[in-house]
Amino acid sequence: MSALSVARKDFRGARRSRLLWAAAVVLGLIAAFAAYVSGTSGQSADLVRRLFRLLTLVLAVLLPVVALVASYLAIAGEREGGGIKFMLSLPNTRRDVFVGKLASRLGIVAGGIVFMYVAAASVALTRHGAFPAGVVFGTLVLSLVYGGTFVSIAVSLSAAAASRSRAIAGAFGSYFVLVILYIFPVVQIPTMVRWVHTTLLGADPNPDLYNAVRYTSPFLAYRKSINLVMPADLRQTVFRSSLPADTSLDTGQVNAALPVYLSDEFSLVVFAFWVVVPLTAGYLVFERSDLE
Amino acid sequence: MPAIETQGLTKEFGEDVVAVENLDLTIESGEIFGFLGPNGAGKSTTINVLLDFIRPTAGSAEVFGLDAQREPAAIRERIGVLPEGYGFDDYLTGREYMEWAIETKDADDDPEALLDLVGILGEADRTAAGYSKGMQQRLAFGMALADDPDLLVLDEPSTGMDPNGIQHMRSVIRDRAEDGTTVFFSSHILSEVEAVCDRVGVMNEGRLVAMDTIEGLRENATGESTIELECAAPPSPDGVADIEGVADVTVAGTTLTASCTDPAAKVDVVRHVDGRAEVVDILAENTSLESLFNQYTEGGRDAEEAVARETREAST
Repeated sequence: MSALSVARKDFRGARRSRLLWAAAVVLGLIAAFAAYVSGTSGQSADLVRRLFRLLTLVLAVLLPVVALVASYLAIAGEREGGGIKFMLSLPNTRRDVFVGKLASRLGIVAGGIVFMYVAAASVALTRHGAFPAGVVFGTLVLSLVYGGTFVSIAVSLSAAAASRSRAIAGAFGSYFVLVILYIFPVVQIPTMVRWVHTTLLGADPNPDLYNAVRYTSPFLAYRKSINLVMPADLRQTVFRSSLPADTSLDTGQVNAALPVYLSDEFSLVVFAFWVVVPLTAGYLVFERSDLE
Repeated sequence: MPAIETQGLTKEFGEDVVAVENLDLTIESGEIFGFLGPNGAGKSTTINVLLDFIRPTAGSAEVFGLDAQREPAAIRERIGVLPEGYGFDDYLTGREYMEWAIETKDADDDPEALLDLVGILGEADRTAAGYSKGMQQRLAFGMALADDPDLLVLDEPSTGMDPNGIQHMRSVIRDRAEDGTTVFFSSHILSEVEAVCDRVGVMNEGRLVAMDTIEGLRENATGESTIELECAAPPSPDGVADIEGVADVTVAGTTLTASCTDPAAKVDVVRHVDGRAEVVDILAENTSLESLFNQYTEGGRDAEEAVARETREAST
């Protein structure tokens, strides 16, 4: 298994990167701080559940940055720096390099997330004496999937980019397109789609369509997927405009009232798309390119 | 079975850059082959195709009968490579790089022994990225030697190395070749190739312009040889140009220089001038391989640039 040897070498090198350690420490401090200031009134297990819901809101914005920064140079850096010449002079194939790099960067990002969770969970446990395992492990798994999605995107972009600068542009661009455009108030993707749909095409507004377009972002998929592991009273209502007027927002009925392609469960399909499509495209481009 | 065989190999970059054109190259197992040519002649492009770093536009490349594009991993199992344009950019020490090479090749070499062989055992625990160019080159060479490959592909191996290092590397290459390893190495320095290779191929502007043993190349030399006669008083060039085999005669001060198309004419020049003036010193120069190399490659890109420069200057 030479993908394993590529991964092991990459991991060994990354372990000595001060930047990565600094990032892990900052993430851990954020988590510990959030756990420390989490409220004091109310039932303790519920407080901890709320803490982890808050943590996922932070991670929704932060995790893509961490994953992209940790992975955007995975292959482009080797190409520009010449490390890939050694890798491919030894009995490795391009697939080994791609798979090995992906595995190593997934491991690094997963390590950061787990570290953050350990920090948050241990501080919360000391302060509130509660450990709601379902919510903690549920959000942990979904955060790993979300982080993994962005690692896949970044490694794919890195494999397709011929140089460091293009890889940077790709990482920055994907964060902008997949995250910023969904949270920044003025230039949101759904607003643009609505404008094209109603103004340019002269059609009647169709909230389901705009919500479906919004749902293509892993950012929203993550937020929706968290509902899958939260008790009914802690779920977030994301696509309000697609709900029938008489739906009660306070019950666990929201998800059932939405069309299947806007349901919480559909987030897993969105994740799968963002893992499979970039990886396939990135690998094919890398496999065919000339490595100068 | 030949160690390396290319047929009609062509590589174009973009629309109008032809890096390698219709190259037919066969390197037999067990030989030390020197791949010679000026910078930009297409040597590295050829090597990069053999290693599957780049894909040919047309033609085929095989190593030990294995297609370079279809079975790169099987080829990499059997070869050791000192690539061009590599970089040690991970936070790893020289020892760790060597261990990685040995581990990836699934070999049982002792990393210490290989590091010692290339003379960097003392620096093994420093980060390879901090090595000097010469030390990096030694480490890369050592990594190529791991698992005693059947074929060593060395792209400009002496780059950045000091004379001792080069000499040591040559003797290692010879040792390995004696044990049956085929060596394919590229260089733009003729003396380097001359010192170790059984056979050389000369590339120029993407084409193979000569392929022979060093002796064969020397015999085929059609270059002129010159003789310089230093005299006590300014000699007269009269009659020298009439000697058969003399192409050109010039006199500058007390020195007479004659260019001969036939090396044997030099003796006649000496006899002729000695009869008429007092010759105090003689300097004869045969066609060197260097000038032969220049002949084949027409000075390479430098000559072209010089011509282009002259044209530019003339037109202004």
